Amino acid sequence: MSARWLGERVPRLEDTKLLTGRALFTDDVDLPGMLHAAFLRSDDAHGVLRSVDVEAARRRPGVVAVWTAADLGEYWKPGPALVPPPPIAGLVFNSATQVPLAREKVRHVGEPLALVVAVSRYVAEDALDDIVVDVEPLLAVTDLEAALAPGAPRVHEALGGNVAARARQSKGDYAAARGRAHKVIARRFRYDRGAAAAIENRGVVAAWDAKTEELTVWDTTQAPIPIRNGLAAMLGLGESQVRVVAPFIGGGFGPKIMMFYPEEVLIPWAAMRLGRPVKWIEDRQENFYATTQERLQIHDAELAVAKDGTILGVKDRFLFDTGAYDPYGLTIPINSQCTLLGPYAVPNYDSEFTAVFTNRPIVTPVRGAGRQHGVFVMERLLDLAAKELGMDRVEIRRRNFLPPDAFPHDHQILFQDFAPLTYDSGDYGPAMDRAVDAIGYERFLREEQPALRRAGRHVGLGIVSYIEGTGIGPYEGARVTIEPSGSVRVATGVGTQGQGHFTTFAQLVSDVLGMDPSKVQVITGDTREFGWGTGTFASRGAVVAGNAVHEAAIRVRKKVLKLASEVLGVDAGELFLECGSVHVKGAPERSLRLGDLARKANPLRGGVAPGTEPGLEATAYFGPERGNAANGVHAMIVEVDPETCEVRIRRYVVVHDCGTVINPTVVEGQVQGGVAMGIGNAFYEQLVWDENGQLMNASFMDYLLPTALDVPAVEMRHTVTPSPLNPLGAKGVGEAGAIPAAAAFAQAVEDALEGEIEVLEIPLSPNRLFDLLGSRSRP
Amino acid sequence: MIVQGEYTFPGTREAIWELLLDPAVIARTMPGTEEMVRVAPDRYEGRMRVGVGAITAAEFTVSVQLADVVPPERYTMQIDGRGRFGFTRGTAQVRLAADGAGTVMRFEADLQVGGKIAAVGQRLLDSVSKLMTRQGLESLSKEVNRRLASADPGSRSPNPGSLP
Amino acid sequence: MKPPVFDYFRPASVDEALALLAEHGADAKALAGGQSLVPAMNFRLAQPAALVDLNGLDELAGIGDGPAALRLGAMTRHCAVERSAVVAKRAPLLTETMPYVAHPQIRNRGTVGGSLAHADPAAELPAVMVASSARFLLRSRSGERWIDAERFFTGLFATALEPGELVTAVEVPTLAPRTGWAFEEMSRRHGDYALVGVACLVTLDAAGRCAAARIALLSVGEGPVLAPSATAALAGVQPTADALRAAAEAVNADIDPPSDIHASAAFRRRLATVLTRRALTRAVERIATSAS
Repeated sequence: MSARWLGERVPRLEDTKLLTGRALFTDDVDLPGMLHAAFLRSDDAHGVLRSVDVEAARRRPGVVAVWTAADLGEYWKPGPALVPPPPIAGLVFNSATQVPLAREKVRHVGEPLALVVAVSRYVAEDALDDIVVDVEPLLAVTDLEAALAPGAPRVHEALGGNVAARARQSKGDYAAARGRAHKVIARRFRYDRGAAAAIENRGVVAAWDAKTEELTVWDTTQAPIPIRNGLAAMLGLGESQVRVVAPFIGGGFGPKIMMFYPEEVLIPWAAMRLGRPVKWIEDRQENFYATTQERLQIHDAELAVAKDGTILGVKDRFLFDTGAYDPYGLTIPINSQCTLLGPYAVPNYDSEFTAVFTNRPIVTPVRGAGRQHGVFVMERLLDLAAKELGMDRVEIRRRNFLPPDAFPHDHQILFQDFAPLTYDSGDYGPAMDRAVDAIGYERFLREEQPALRRAGRHVGLGIVSYIEGTGIGPYEGARVTIEPSGSVRVATGVGTQGQGHFTTFAQLVSDVLGMDPSKVQVITGDTREFGWGTGTFASRGAVVAGNAVHEAAIRVRKKVLKLASEVLGVDAGELFLECGSVHVKGAPERSLRLGDLARKANPLRGGVAPGTEPGLEATAYFGPERGNAANGVHAMIVEVDPETCEVRIRRYVVVHDCGTVINPTVVEGQVQGGVAMGIGNAFYEQLVWDENGQLMNASFMDYLLPTALDVPAVEMRHTVTPSPLNPLGAKGVGEAGAIPAAAAFAQAVEDALEGEIEVLEIPLSPNRLFDLLGSRSRP
Repeated sequence: MIVQGEYTFPGTREAIWELLLDPAVIARTMPGTEEMVRVAPDRYEGRMRVGVGAITAAEFTVSVQLADVVPPERYTMQIDGRGRFGFTRGTAQVRLAADGAGTVMRFEADLQVGGKIAAVGQRLLDSVSKLMTRQGLESLSKEVNRRLASADPGSRSPNPGSLP
Repeated sequence: MKPPVFDYFRPASVDEALALLAEHGADAKALAGGQSLVPAMNFRLAQPAALVDLNGLDELAGIGDGPAALRLGAMTRHCAVERSAVVAKRAPLLTETMPYVAHPQIRNRGTVGGSLAHADPAAELPAVMVASSARFLLRSRSGERWIDAERFFTGLFATALEPGELVTAVEVPTLAPRTGWAFEEMSRRHGDYALVGVACLVTLDAAGRCAAARIALLSVGEGPVLAPSATAALAGVQPTADALRAAAEAVNADIDPPSDIHASAAFRRRLATVLTRRALTRAVERIATSAS
């Protein structure tokens, strides 16, 4: 087997199609007789829904149907609870899931109240204006602490209060550790996040063929197979009667793995009822309310350290805003809880969170999925401890890194995949060394910064390290087929939203079968092609689906060698695969093209030996026993203008370890994109929900995404500690860039301002810095 | 959104009080009001048409509920306006104090804004509310002066609006 | 975000356009670059029953050079102004400002007249025109009239345009000798609405003292705001760093900035002071460099 393509910068195979407008996106689907849907959404964050009068809308010419909750009959039911909570002792968990159309109560702005289907989206939106809604407003639940106070209005009346969950995980004895500590650093941290803001909004197109009794759904989902299974069950169809296609998708970043959104559940139903295809494409304004997002956590955390900076223990109590419903369970806060431990040895840990229902849209993972919050808390505590101890901030981190011989390291608390949080492999010192070197840490602190300060400039450096749990199960699968043409077809159940699967999976197959990646066609996200799997999330595509693809290719290779040895009459050990053919060593004239071999493997007549499978095809599944731990270090240099409070990032360095790298260009793209999102999170993006649950910035005028002018080119370095948990040794990288950026930014800004303020919150902005500098906030 | 301020009018507290609660005066002075009817001693309902710049004036149905009425000193209004662009809801307190020959009116409103105006209009909310407040006060001031100038008891509205 | 139904007209002459606007009254809106109007229509905030498209009226576009003033047709695209050598020579303040007007794509379609008629308090052109003492030519079916920029902007998105009237041209007077100019703006990202902006022209007399200063700010009130207190602080004084700093501080007396999620009123005041000081400093430096 060659290793020619593994680690190669193969230019992305899908790009020609994408860049010449020949890729199919959901909104490109155009079917005869297709109708268009629009949803009426609540303007109120909390209220009693008295009536939704759609009569005038129904009468509008061009309107084909209008439905409210009452019109759905039996089909109306709350969505499934998607992610059960891990088996944490003493867990409190109250499940409340979203409904297709609001009934009796509205619980967040944007909650759907009615569905209009018309001949065009223009007419459908005209009809929305015809609908008269009677809502008796109720006080909205928005502040996390006020929500837990006795007498607070309740998002869900049936529950005693607004507690969605409470979970405590601990190890060791923090109280004792605190008693021994030289210093205890305690602070309140506020970490807010925002919308994923993928360039393509959501969309669903559904078509029911009454003759073949088949339903086809194009959906911008990161989980086509679970959507197929769920829709089939809801609509009373067999799984084989439903085909879900996730075509090219313009970015997922998490919210598209939320499943059974009201629109996903209603559009197929409407198509079946009306006997005509129905299309719904979300517009940007809707996306702010109708697609899930991440939001605020408030942490009251403390770090107990010894005199030499060794961590004795951490205690954390935090609040997590889950929104009006919690279908996605506790993935985010568990990630926060676990990721806080970072690459450090933390012998004693006591972490408890309360998930709070609020009158805002549902919170589900967005790139990073709660890891950001944990990293921010730990990295800030270490920075503050370093300051109090008079220690260098890199030194305090080094002192607490888990040593290279500590693996596998069991942290003794549960991770989002229900298994104990165990780091498979890691070597954190070298990663820090490389970052320190790349950013010029010593020279900056000793020479550059002092000189610039003397010149009246305010420059600062931030350097943070982190762990990212990736590549979790349960499993994915793939089928590899050599076609008579000689090209190879790979089908897998995951979808692709820009991660480069069409190239990276082709590379894996190319090495095994000895061919050029351009001859390998990869199909993702079509349930008719491959029907088993869970989806693209938690930085697991390369690890889980990649290993399945790899294994399936290996099985095909075995078949190739077996058949070729029979046809050529030589031992399999004398054969090698190269350039799409099987060759005999030392006999260049004796070779077989793989395509011809595939034809031979599928005879039209004659007999075959028992146990023979036709063709050169194999299917394989891969399920890791648990997730693995990627790691990295981010460092940046910023300059603050104290007059205008603007912050410019001068340099950004990432050292990343995602184990075996399949395609460095793809990895670098992931990191650069992740860093852009991290910078957005740190300094630009914030969903401004007011105290009444109204969103004050539901457009890109006011929800600020950083542009190419605001994000520097990331200087990237790699270290490689392969994972022992999968044959490729790969770890995930999809979310890495986004996770520690804000922690590094906070440290850098604090450094630039020479500690005039403590940065205990994210996001910052010039306006916010102006406030903080004005009040000189200090504990 | 907090809207607050004060304004000094010529005239006694009693005279200003009557004007403030006269639906015809409200209709003439609150910017964009097309109709304002007193449907109960402590409740007004009406229609307003409000637009700014390129934004087409849209109709709002408005209701105002009075509470804590202590003539001629103070009252509280519960305001509810709903229209195509969204809604505004909240409470406003009005206090009148004698100031020599005139009356100082102090008002403070805490208004919630929702729907489309909030979602895409936040940049202008402060300016629009300042503008409407100023326009309202200027109109009210003109009205006050007009009434004082005519000083004719017949010019008062037929429903003087004394409250229980 | 789809607009409701509307009628669409594309007149072939200014007279025809004015007739259509008069006929439809408040139900019609003139369509220039559409960079503000069309998004407002897509949001269904603007719902004109009729659009009168001015884009076919070539006679309304064009940049003309005269001895006393620069003339810009109302339908001149921002990008044409940005690239014009004539504008750079006659109205360098305008040239310096143009890159701050939104993004290149928007400048390809947006027009000078459209921006002025829309009168967004955060727009750059109104402030620049006020600082430049420009005047606008307005035309309706009843005739034409000139109006000073300072009197054209009457309030929040409000102008002196009567119903049925169009801005057809803008005149920017030539700079007096020994005049420096500068434009400063702070926004969150390049191309965003300004948090605060300042356009200024400073003229020195033969002795180097300030003879005239026009300072107009944007995003600090209902429209472009002249800063007479700052001007007064500079009158007849040498433009030393301290004097410029004092003038910048004086700006605060002239502005009552709004608060929004990106900038509080207090932060805008800070920015107004800082940007005014920076603009005045650069404007004065320019006089020195162009003299030498």
